[in-house]
Amino acid sequence: MSSAYIPLIVDGLADAALIFFVAVGLTLVFSVMRILNVAHGSFYALGAYISVVIGLWLTGRGGPVLGLAALVISPVLIAVLLGPLIELTLLRWTYGRPEALQILVTFGLFLILEDAQKLIFGVQPYSQDTPMQILGITRIGGIVYLNYQLILVLMAVLVAVGLRLMLKRTRIGKLIVTVVTDQELAQTLGIDSSRVFILAFSLGVFLAALGGALASPTVGVAPGLGSETIVLAFAVAAIGGLGQIEGAALAAILVGLTRSAAIYFAPEFQPVAPYLVMLAVLLVRPFGLFGSIGLRRI
Amino acid sequence: MKHLRSMAALAFVAAALNPAYAQTGKPAEIGMGVFTFTSGPAAAYGMPGRNAAELVIEKINASGGIGGVKIKPIFVDEGQGTDGVVAEFRRLAADSNNQAMIAALSSGNCLALAPVAEQLKMPTFMWNCDTHQLFLKDRYQYVYRTNSSTVPEFIASVLYLLSVNPNIKTVAIINPDYAFGRDAGLIFKETLKALRPNVEVVAELYPKLGSPSFNTEISRLAATQPDVIFSNLWGADLENFVRQAAPRQLFERSKVILALGESVLQRVGTLLPDGVIIGVIGDGWWKSPHAQANAQAKDFIETYRKRFNEYPVFPSFKMANTLYAVKAIYEKALATNKNRWPTREDLIAAAKNLKTETLTGSLALREDNDGLVDQIVGATVKDSAHPFPVMGQMVRYPASLLTPPVGTDPIAWIGKLKPDMLNTLPKPGAYK
Amino acid sequence: MTLRHIIGLALIAAVLPLAVPWLGFVFTLAVGKGLAALGVAVLLRGGLISIGHALYFAVGAYATAFLMRNDGINEFLLLLLLSTVVATLVGLVVGVFMVRYRAIFFAMLNLAVSMVFFTLLSKMYHVTGGTDGLRVATPTLFGFAPSRVQFNSVLQYGSLILMIGAALIVDRYLRSPLGEALSAVHSNEVRLEYLGVSARRVILIAYAASAALAGLGGTVTAFAVGHIVPELSYWTISGQLVLIAVLGGIGGTPGAFIGAFFLELVRTFAVGFAADAWNVIIGIALLIVIFFLPEGLYGLLHRTGKQGSTP
Repeated sequence: MSSAYIPLIVDGLADAALIFFVAVGLTLVFSVMRILNVAHGSFYALGAYISVVIGLWLTGRGGPVLGLAALVISPVLIAVLLGPLIELTLLRWTYGRPEALQILVTFGLFLILEDAQKLIFGVQPYSQDTPMQILGITRIGGIVYLNYQLILVLMAVLVAVGLRLMLKRTRIGKLIVTVVTDQELAQTLGIDSSRVFILAFSLGVFLAALGGALASPTVGVAPGLGSETIVLAFAVAAIGGLGQIEGAALAAILVGLTRSAAIYFAPEFQPVAPYLVMLAVLLVRPFGLFGSIGLRRI
Repeated sequence: MKHLRSMAALAFVAAALNPAYAQTGKPAEIGMGVFTFTSGPAAAYGMPGRNAAELVIEKINASGGIGGVKIKPIFVDEGQGTDGVVAEFRRLAADSNNQAMIAALSSGNCLALAPVAEQLKMPTFMWNCDTHQLFLKDRYQYVYRTNSSTVPEFIASVLYLLSVNPNIKTVAIINPDYAFGRDAGLIFKETLKALRPNVEVVAELYPKLGSPSFNTEISRLAATQPDVIFSNLWGADLENFVRQAAPRQLFERSKVILALGESVLQRVGTLLPDGVIIGVIGDGWWKSPHAQANAQAKDFIETYRKRFNEYPVFPSFKMANTLYAVKAIYEKALATNKNRWPTREDLIAAAKNLKTETLTGSLALREDNDGLVDQIVGATVKDSAHPFPVMGQMVRYPASLLTPPVGTDPIAWIGKLKPDMLNTLPKPGAYK
Repeated sequence: MTLRHIIGLALIAAVLPLAVPWLGFVFTLAVGKGLAALGVAVLLRGGLISIGHALYFAVGAYATAFLMRNDGINEFLLLLLLSTVVATLVGLVVGVFMVRYRAIFFAMLNLAVSMVFFTLLSKMYHVTGGTDGLRVATPTLFGFAPSRVQFNSVLQYGSLILMIGAALIVDRYLRSPLGEALSAVHSNEVRLEYLGVSARRVILIAYAASAALAGLGGTVTAFAVGHIVPELSYWTISGQLVLIAVLGGIGGTPGAFIGAFFLELVRTFAVGFAADAWNVIIGIALLIVIFFLPEGLYGLLHRTGKQGSTP
């Protein structure tokens, strides 16, 4: 059985990588705007749908390698088109209002986006597996893995490190951190917080859509993807502490490993695992592993 | 007004063409609820059913309907969840124009709808419900299964497996998590236990119906290295599973049985190596000798291919065969009634003990309203005539030999199967 | 005021099905959802948003199914009562933990509990029937076994009586000192504590009451549909309950029911002409109400202004 631990860990990490992209976007948006975006999972689903459509189109035009480009092009497209639009029209209005209202506005958006997907893409499942096939396979512990799965883990690490570096080193990142820490101070310093909000929200949308796009070659894309993803992202974000990037990463790994361990040892508990972890963590640390009530940081 | 006049004219023409109209009380048209999945992952299996329904009802109506009465299908999407499906069934049943239901695709929905149909006294023909639980404890008057049950379907999988690989030692199971998958797992295990008591079940996985990813399950299956992997995944789940498992060489390392595999051959069959055991849970294989010898079936296959750009898969035949069976039931009732349009009670009385030819063989409805259908099993083989593999090395197991008699507990009956049963049955490759 | 409105609504719901019979079923579903949404509305009075109340909705429904299947209890009124009691007890136990949290953490913890429950319902195939769900048979009425058609009428009119009763009782509760204290949790919890009132106790009572209402709604739904599935406890249903509460307006207890009738009617009509778009319609309606009608649909009827605070 010991040889089974290696695949368990590899599977857990591959799973964690996909959850991480969505959860970190959710947590980022929360930390900047203090809004729990229920519609966040829909961006994941949109990312998956659009990357399949663009991917198949590009593969038809310029071969499978060009098809890979769709995995990056589509999230950028979604973020640029939807990010500013939604922030300016809907979210802007909710800042400083009661949580109930904020959650409901994004729930309304969720309902609209869920059906918009059905109207645009239909109800039949979509899939594209070329990116998975052209990258080849690797054997780990006697088990065949797709290199694509391993690259996902690498991508997640890159995104986590990249985000942290961006917040720390770049001008934009520093602006975001200032706004998160003290919005009033930021404003007196002449920082245009509304621009920071648009940027941060679009970045969140991008991360969710990227998660969907990267997941699309390995999963079937069908209605309901968004609503399943968002609860999982909630769980991960809450475990890590809302607003915590490193927290989200650690929580994603925790949830990913628990889920894959469940499939090996107690398959019946696989779906309940993330929520049991969430419940356990929240009961002991209501603000999550990395969270705290007073301190606002990212 | 114009509408009304043209309707009156139509009714008049109908009455003129059909001299018995006045006495028989025939409606110009009857509504029929047709339940299948047209959304979500299950739609990959449900749409071929719906396509077949459209086509067959068109054909029936074009050739004069049922005794002059046209059928108007009302399609209901099972993708809305069981509670929505039940609500929709109640709503349709409240309209007296709707005289029969073709429901449903999912075993879960069938188990929920059967008592409702009984309460509402609505003749209901279950076109695709396989779960043997349907008639296990309950006796229904208004509910018929025009299809085989999980019992013969998955006994057939084991029989075929043991015919081609008699020396297997370990098996793993990956089925969807609901009645159909759980039943199949139980029947597969019990049959194995009766025929090969030493075979060990090393893993049993029941992922949720509609899971987008099976990657971890695939790793677990690969890590366990069973001789055989049995699965009754279907629809987009099966497509996803094949897409995710094939590049990871799962089909090379274990003998795999995809009991519902024929339904995805045209879409992802090229990913499968030769020799994967494939079933149609019934006899609905478009290239079967029976179908190819039947002019009506060949016409159906050709029209279907032209309109929908693919060959009809077995769910299409389950639907088509059910509709032709319902037509036969109506005709039997009309004959008994001397051409008076049957009431709901007449209809269910006519269904009792019906024997009818179908596009792909025959269907018999038993005393307990259950259907008897032969089982075809085969294995993937490349075919130069098609860009996808087809079923080769076929066998057709007679329904009577694989189905427990009326009133017996199916699982106990399976327990009494004898290993020498295999010697008396046709061998793989015998059906050609 | 409340009395007049709720009886008016009940009368409309009682009369319309005489002309259009299948509406009776739709209205029964609406009352089921409305009861649960009323529970959510109670919590919203205290400024607490739960995106996990479908949990109690499902607890009520499954309690009914289990009591009928395992304990052989078949009496309609007894089942309504016992299922509500079960939901209340679960609400009390969970509530003991919930009362420590506010705002987003309260919302998330409720979500976590409901998702644990949802996945357990889905996976414990041999106990709960898994995703296939459980059948709910037609119960007996004072020992008589009614036909399904008779029972449907009983349920249809009975649920309207439940609706009136629930609306009036909750109205009384919200006007009582306990109810006023709940509003104070929202506006100024610290002051409440200075007055010697335990905010946690106030919230616990409200939480148990909301669980009871949701459980009762779930039982009504289980009887109406005759089949229950784990999806009853899924988070989107929880979201829907909050939506109904706010759409209808939390200014008065008839609001939850107005929201529920609106939702079920839109859903029913949308199935006919825009099956894939009814969520869009509901979503847009919700945004319009939030942006332009802070008192919800009920606010259109009822503009006393006294309880007209935004949720």
